[in-house]
Amino acid sequence: MKEPQIIVCAKQIPDPEAPFSNVTVNVEKKQVAVDAPDVISPYDENALEAAIRIKEELGGKITILSMGRKVSDTVLRKTIAAGADALVLLEDPLFEGLDSGSTAHVLSCAIKKIGDWDLVLTGRQAGDWDSGQVGLIMGEMLDVPCVSLARSIKIDDGKLLVEKSVPVGYEMVEASLPALVTVSNEVGELRYVARSKMLGLLRRPMSIPKWNSKDLGCDIDRLKKLQLTELVPPADMGRQCTLIEGAAQDQACRLAEVLSELR
Amino acid sequence: MSEILLLVEAKDGALDKKSLELMQGALGLGRQLGVATCAVVAGSDTARLAESAASFGLDKVYRLEHPLLAGFQPDAWVKGLEWLCGQVNPGIFLLSHSFVGKEVGPRLACRLNTALTTDCLGLSVDPGDGLLVRTKPIYGGNAIASLKCEGVPQMATVRKNAFEPVGEAQSASAIVEMVPDIGEDAIRVKSIKMVEQEVVELDKANVVISGGRGIEAKEDFDMLEALAAAMSKSHGNVMIGCSRPVVDKCWMSSDRQVGLTGTIIAPDTYIAVGISGAIQHLVGMIRSKKIVAINTDPGCNMFKVADYGVVGDYRDIIPALVKKLEEQR
Amino acid sequence: MIPERPMFWGIDYSWLFYVIAFVAICIFAVGVGIHISVWRKSKSKSNTSISWQAVKQSLLEIVSGARLFKGDIAAGTAHFLMFWGFIILLIGTSLLAVHGHVYSFLTGTTYLAFGFFMEIGGLALLVGITWSLVRRYVQRVPRLERRLEDAVVALWLLVIACSGFLLEGVRLAAQRPGWDEWTALGPMIAGFFPQAAARSIYPGLWWGHGLLCLAFIAAIPYTKLFHLVGAPASYYLHHSPVTLSPDPEAAFEPGVQWDLAQRAFLDACTRCGRCVEACPSAGAGEPLAPRAFVQAARQSLWREERPAGDIRFLLDLDPVEDRSAWFCTTCGACLEVCPVYAAPFEAVGKKRAMLIEEGKGVPDLMNQTLERLFNYENPWVSSKRDRAAWAKGLDVPVIKAGGNNEGFCYFVGCTTSFDDRAQAIAVSFSALLKQAGAEFGILGDKEPCCGDIARVVGELGLFMEKMENCTELLDKFSVSDIVTSSPHCFHTFLNEYGDSSFRVRHYSSVLKELLAQGKLRPQNRVNATVTYHDPCYLGRHNRIFDDPRQVIRSIPGVKLVEMEHHGADSLCCGGGGGRMWQGQDIRGEARMSEIRIKEARGTGAGILVTACPLCLIMMEDALKTVGYEGEMKVMDLNELLLQSLSNG
Repeated sequence: MKEPQIIVCAKQIPDPEAPFSNVTVNVEKKQVAVDAPDVISPYDENALEAAIRIKEELGGKITILSMGRKVSDTVLRKTIAAGADALVLLEDPLFEGLDSGSTAHVLSCAIKKIGDWDLVLTGRQAGDWDSGQVGLIMGEMLDVPCVSLARSIKIDDGKLLVEKSVPVGYEMVEASLPALVTVSNEVGELRYVARSKMLGLLRRPMSIPKWNSKDLGCDIDRLKKLQLTELVPPADMGRQCTLIEGAAQDQACRLAEVLSELR
Repeated sequence: MSEILLLVEAKDGALDKKSLELMQGALGLGRQLGVATCAVVAGSDTARLAESAASFGLDKVYRLEHPLLAGFQPDAWVKGLEWLCGQVNPGIFLLSHSFVGKEVGPRLACRLNTALTTDCLGLSVDPGDGLLVRTKPIYGGNAIASLKCEGVPQMATVRKNAFEPVGEAQSASAIVEMVPDIGEDAIRVKSIKMVEQEVVELDKANVVISGGRGIEAKEDFDMLEALAAAMSKSHGNVMIGCSRPVVDKCWMSSDRQVGLTGTIIAPDTYIAVGISGAIQHLVGMIRSKKIVAINTDPGCNMFKVADYGVVGDYRDIIPALVKKLEEQR
Repeated sequence: MIPERPMFWGIDYSWLFYVIAFVAICIFAVGVGIHISVWRKSKSKSNTSISWQAVKQSLLEIVSGARLFKGDIAAGTAHFLMFWGFIILLIGTSLLAVHGHVYSFLTGTTYLAFGFFMEIGGLALLVGITWSLVRRYVQRVPRLERRLEDAVVALWLLVIACSGFLLEGVRLAAQRPGWDEWTALGPMIAGFFPQAAARSIYPGLWWGHGLLCLAFIAAIPYTKLFHLVGAPASYYLHHSPVTLSPDPEAAFEPGVQWDLAQRAFLDACTRCGRCVEACPSAGAGEPLAPRAFVQAARQSLWREERPAGDIRFLLDLDPVEDRSAWFCTTCGACLEVCPVYAAPFEAVGKKRAMLIEEGKGVPDLMNQTLERLFNYENPWVSSKRDRAAWAKGLDVPVIKAGGNNEGFCYFVGCTTSFDDRAQAIAVSFSALLKQAGAEFGILGDKEPCCGDIARVVGELGLFMEKMENCTELLDKFSVSDIVTSSPHCFHTFLNEYGDSSFRVRHYSSVLKELLAQGKLRPQNRVNATVTYHDPCYLGRHNRIFDDPRQVIRSIPGVKLVEMEHHGADSLCCGGGGGRMWQGQDIRGEARMSEIRIKEARGTGAGILVTACPLCLIMMEDALKTVGYEGEMKVMDLNELLLQSLSNG
């Protein structure tokens, strides 16, 4: 069998680990500002780890595909340091603030442009909007078998074998290639990338193709921006602690009411 | 505008509570817009499920019957629902933000050439353009966005607890049996086997009750178990967690540890019993939607991050609480 | 007749002996040469001029066997006997050759004295080797391994010693000299042999003994006996003043990173296992075996540097699991007890560096911690914001860039800044400084991480970055005098930053000075028995044992008692070496901190005092998990001192 050509879609987002005090919601501009450095969305890192493991076993090539207006190749070079082979950035002002379907459309165009591929991996959802749509929609657009929530991915004799997380445990599923799989955290964390490797890469010149909407030939009319009507901070952000006072019995009664409300 | 459609799901053979909540939301929109509100049940033997779905005041319940719809094969379900939408042309299509909804929703939206919003906390209709306004949390709940999308049907998946479960209605809804056109070729991903696992996955719990250093004896975790049992009847998946000292004492296995060095979780409700709130613990549970703290020390950190705080001895409070919860039922 | 010993008495082809001896010495020299060639492949530059001071120190350690007596008098004595027995016999045999070929002097009383000393030497060797064999195979001392090499080498020596005595006895039986030998064993053995029989077996016995001895010499570089050469080399290199650290750029190339001294240490290791015995991680039932790391490091070094292969034979090593590299706390207890100054924790560190470079097998939490350290300048929280939160409302002076900053910079450190319990260190230390009227300032939210965690877990690239970043910042704020909360930051600034221009102290030394200057006058009686836990990076790594103790003694009413393990033999709390951030999959049967708190409780002390934020957190946790709450307290040195100073 030929060595698998894998494409991993990776999104750059502000570190979702940042504490809530670092998140500012600008109601007027309908913008969220996160005082945190950009990272690769954690589930996408899981997807890359899955891809590297396949590559370790079968060889092949891993291409990272990332879309956005200001994608930082510093952040994305981490994927190369970890074991990916190529990086393609999709940059265009038109790509900013797209909804899930449009994002999937752009990524699918890029994947078609890359041409030679056997497997597309994405994280189960992005760590900022947590929509969990792009991967699945791309599966439809590319018209290939699509498996979500993978906890383990294997390619065996040209066939795709996935353990898919389901509420009761996991399901073993099989599909033919090419295919698309969305990856869950059970796959395992992306291997550690030593700083020395990163620095080595940053020093080395690297040609990173940057494609815009024209290069991709995507249908501009299909690109729809998210229409935000309102953006507000959550009501309970302050975590004002309501103390439940009184004797133990009274406290228990009140707490029982509270818990019933939380149902 | 044409009808509102919602996907009804079963859980352990009965109607899922999330579907009842979804019906409430859908019926509300239906009344507001003055359109019919219909539900669809899918499967290979849906008679009973359709029957029970029919008792909540919906206009119609579609029974989507097909052998390939047995179990949950996403390929078949997407195909079946696509076929149904072609037949009934719903104006709004709602799903639960469940395992099924999360998988079927995006794919179906793509096939119907429309846009879906996932994990919505609230829905309303903009009277100006008639579009569905979807409210959803973003950035880990640190911001709440409301947005509109073009496309028909207007689609959303709805988070549990967004609406109250609907109450039973007097008249039964009409049940319409439909047999979709699904070919074997629609199924491209074959299920080989299902492996059920009994694992502690704290991050899958709806409620986590954690004991910490303040728990004086291993046996006292029985109280927490009793509370978990009482709550599991109404709150979904309730699990017992703990903080690091408890694992250190070998009272609990490390897969139950919440915190930087254990599992990082974001359940709907987190109940911290006898946990003072060391930073490494807080990191692991700070994203819980609601936090309840029970501790003897009113100055402890946990009260600073909790929504509800009970200053007192857990040995007095929890047994009383368990009793109270059982009385409520 | 004058007593003397005829050379090659009754031996034909005596020239053959010299030929074989020459061959044996050549084999020995080639082996030693190969070792040295591997050492010299180190790319780090080292001092080439000879330090006579180091030679003196080394010789003293060699002849006294001091490193071997330390902590194990039995092993020390057995080794001392073997060592001196071997030396006496070696010198004696050489003298005999001089006597026979150069200048005959071993006659009359001199010869009798010679015989006497040779018997003493033989006996010492015999007793030493027998004792060692008993310790290893009868007593089965836990730290000793029982590999093929251990048996072969020891039995070989035993046979040499025994055959030597037998040979002497048979010679006396055959010669029947007319004088009384000043020996006891020889004549006794002679009694068993009739003269004729003795005459006939003597040549065979002589050749047997001689060949065994020559083969033994030839085997030295190819077995653990190499420590005969390696240990003196290690001693010298350890004491020799300058062994420059390797080129930082080269630090990431495998193999290259071992400097000359470290290479000698690896080769000098005899697998004695003192490190295993001293290791607090192994003591807590964790799968870390420092000895195994040294051996594995040695093997992989040889594999890289010598394509033709390792020259050690009889060495059947167990593979070392990668995972076990994450258990080391880098406490340095292994180095403290190592007879040849090998630092097994450095071997572990290099293994970690390799694992980090590969990226695989890094514990998840460590992975996240390093990412956090990179992004947020601390291993605790994903934000830089609350670094100085502890100082809110305390009116602690903050150093300004370019400002005229008097006094020293109090470098609070990550753990002291972010951990609730450890913040007490910063709060109480700054209170003390203000009472003493000391000029100081903190860097506030600008304070960077010194990079210690990155270094100890083997993320050397990140450490370099942190170091550069930190040096730059300290420069920008014109900081030239640093006082740290954490012994870890202290050690890093002092020893790992290369030639930095700033002065570094740990707070305990500052407290001692302020007390000595009379700026702090403890007055309130603190009626308590306290015991002091030496933090590894303050005590063992930097030899500051007394400053904190002096501070404790200055407090009226306090009685200081010592734990069994204190000073250089202190037991690690289990929080160092990045262990604080390595999660639950890394743990043994017992917790190091619990073992330690039990020892502290055993002294009857009501307060355990320590001087490190990590120790404070670990011991405080252990206090609670062991259930000593109410009976005992864990306090930082600052907190204790503040008690006797605060008004009220």
